[in-house]
Amino acid sequence: MGLFLLMIPLITVLLALVIKNRRLLHGLSLFTSALLFMVAIGLTKKILLWGQINEPTWNGFFYVDALSIIVLDIVIILGFLVSIYSVGYLEEDVRQGKIDEKRIRLYYILLYAFIFTMILSLTVKNIGIMWVAIEATTLASVFLVGFYNTKKALEAAWKYVIICSVGISLAFLGIIFLHLSSLGVLGKEQFLDWTALFAQAEALKSPLLRLSFLFILVGFGTKAGLAPMHTWLPGAHSQAPSPISALLSGVLLNSAMYGIMRSVAIVNKNLAGSTFTGNLLIAAGLLSIGIAAVVIISQKEYKNLLAYSSIEHMGIIAFSLGLFTPASIFGALLHMINHSLTKSMLFFATGNILHTYHTGRISKIKGILKRMPVSGTAFLLGLFAIAGTPPFSIFASEVNVIAAVFLNGRFIIGAIFAFLLAVIFAGIVFNMLPMFYGESADEEIPVQKNNLLGTGAILLLLILILITGFYLPNDLKELIYSAQRIMMGE
Amino acid sequence: MTNFLDTLSLLVLLTAFILIANKRIKSYIRTFRLQSLFIAIGAGIIGLESFAQEGRFDALILSVIMIILKVIYIPNLLDNTYAHVDHTVEKDFFLNIPILIFISFLLFLFSYFSFSSIEGLHEGKVNLQMINLVSVVLIGLFFMITRKKAIGQIVGFLVLENGLFATAMFVTQGMPFIVDLGIFIDLLTGVLIMGLMVFKINEKFDSIDINKMKNLRG
Repeated sequence: MGLFLLMIPLITVLLALVIKNRRLLHGLSLFTSALLFMVAIGLTKKILLWGQINEPTWNGFFYVDALSIIVLDIVIILGFLVSIYSVGYLEEDVRQGKIDEKRIRLYYILLYAFIFTMILSLTVKNIGIMWVAIEATTLASVFLVGFYNTKKALEAAWKYVIICSVGISLAFLGIIFLHLSSLGVLGKEQFLDWTALFAQAEALKSPLLRLSFLFILVGFGTKAGLAPMHTWLPGAHSQAPSPISALLSGVLLNSAMYGIMRSVAIVNKNLAGSTFTGNLLIAAGLLSIGIAAVVIISQKEYKNLLAYSSIEHMGIIAFSLGLFTPASIFGALLHMINHSLTKSMLFFATGNILHTYHTGRISKIKGILKRMPVSGTAFLLGLFAIAGTPPFSIFASEVNVIAAVFLNGRFIIGAIFAFLLAVIFAGIVFNMLPMFYGESADEEIPVQKNNLLGTGAILLLLILILITGFYLPNDLKELIYSAQRIMMGE
Repeated sequence: MTNFLDTLSLLVLLTAFILIANKRIKSYIRTFRLQSLFIAIGAGIIGLESFAQEGRFDALILSVIMIILKVIYIPNLLDNTYAHVDHTVEKDFFLNIPILIFISFLLFLFSYFSFSSIEGLHEGKVNLQMINLVSVVLIGLFFMITRKKAIGQIVGFLVLENGLFATAMFVTQGMPFIVDLGIFIDLLTGVLIMGLMVFKINEKFDSIDINKMKNLRG
């Protein structure tokens, strides 16, 4: 059953290589992502029932538990929405002459290769293969980042591939040290195995493990967009087509964060405490939030602003991971889900705005609410949601995190954290609100009705983040609790 | 056996120093080829031993893949790419060569002092291979940030990857085979992609000088 998850996107890539008709390609993509969605539902149910799935094929290669299924479900749900959104987006791009009709095929091939590598990185037990898969996500998405082939897009793609490949190479050095620390403890068939490493964590050599965590944090942190290794992120997110930006922000960053989470669990268990990893993660988290705050205040392009907001939210997740109390881990996992849903909704909305206004500059856009009532309103509400306003779900998880800091007795850090969040809120509101009101400069352009299906996806996400602000389904809570137990080693 | 690998790791480090002193892109590629050859020989020695002792083939296979991919295929590919894009010969580095070598030497000292004090890494004597090969990683990284041309960055990345692969091979004597294979696949696609992008950059920017890429502002 689980292996279907890996086969489906691969088969889709192969089919997309053959199919030339663009209607068929859209259909194929919708069909595949719906299929993946269904398999994921089945898998989640099994996890709720049994706690983990470890298929015996290929030496226990396929492994999913509560922690990975949370991230995996985000990948698949967003993959589904992106495939819905992409249909209208690509058609509009072709209609406006931004891309050649033939490139739709390339888009889908790369998209499903990208989704395949992300699924692979989340469903393997071996951290070495996970590394290979995460490096492959970069390679699969480079040409998606540079899809429009402009100078800026090309520059963004080059930075993306170089910085991420180098960063992730350092993570491999960390994995080598992890492997060294386990020599003599693990048997040959257990090498680099998450579960075995975690089970025997006390017996691993601590000095090597500390060294390994440093490199893993830098390496996966690069990919997760933590400062100061975040420099690739704003360019890539702002130059990529909007549905791809949604995937990069909502999914890719999480997959890298997942790698950090697993190693945090191992290192903390070995050192019998979270001081070492905690200090590093809190520092990286606060630095990311701080840098994002500074840049967001003075930002002039809306997609860039959203990219920096992703850096901020990854910082929040790292920060609350660093606290490592049950409440803060709950907050971190919940925040991961909420951020993915909200951010991808916002990127979808920017796609519609870009198609109507043809500019990325904030100052050139006026009167969104008049020109595009539906996606404009959704965008406005989404901005408030991402800034952490109630009643949206991000507010709920941020409150969780803040409560966890203060309950932990770290008042100064908590105060800095809350202050930076307030600065970011002010920055987003101050910069973005002028876009919504007023009269648009060139009135003669007719109001376009682009991407109806995509707007549907935006509204769906809006409703989702609104509901989860009040109410979490029991199954989801249960999943997060068991992921929390996996990390705490109970 | 250990002496052999110590010597080889030293030779690999030496090629990294030669690389940083290189002036022309052609000679970068040649040095990279030489370095990969040393690592392939090391993998071959480890492979022969593990074959004799345990009957395992994997390190031998890796050595062969290494020769085909990194000694023959990728350098040829880079030569080809370079032949198609280059028009002018200009100074390719920011700092002058003696300073570059000096800084690389400092990097080596840094890794010597940081790695010789770590417990659990050495049984009895200092693990020279580790120090040499991690220095190669650092020098590769340093090489990447000091060169202006896109191809220089690719070679730097490859050297960095070489250092990592050699560390994994020499020091741990066997990551799981499938991981090593995965790394090769990644590396190959990575280099193909970067090579393709060099063409595109050349087309759009009329040169492969990374300094011209300053359109993006945060």
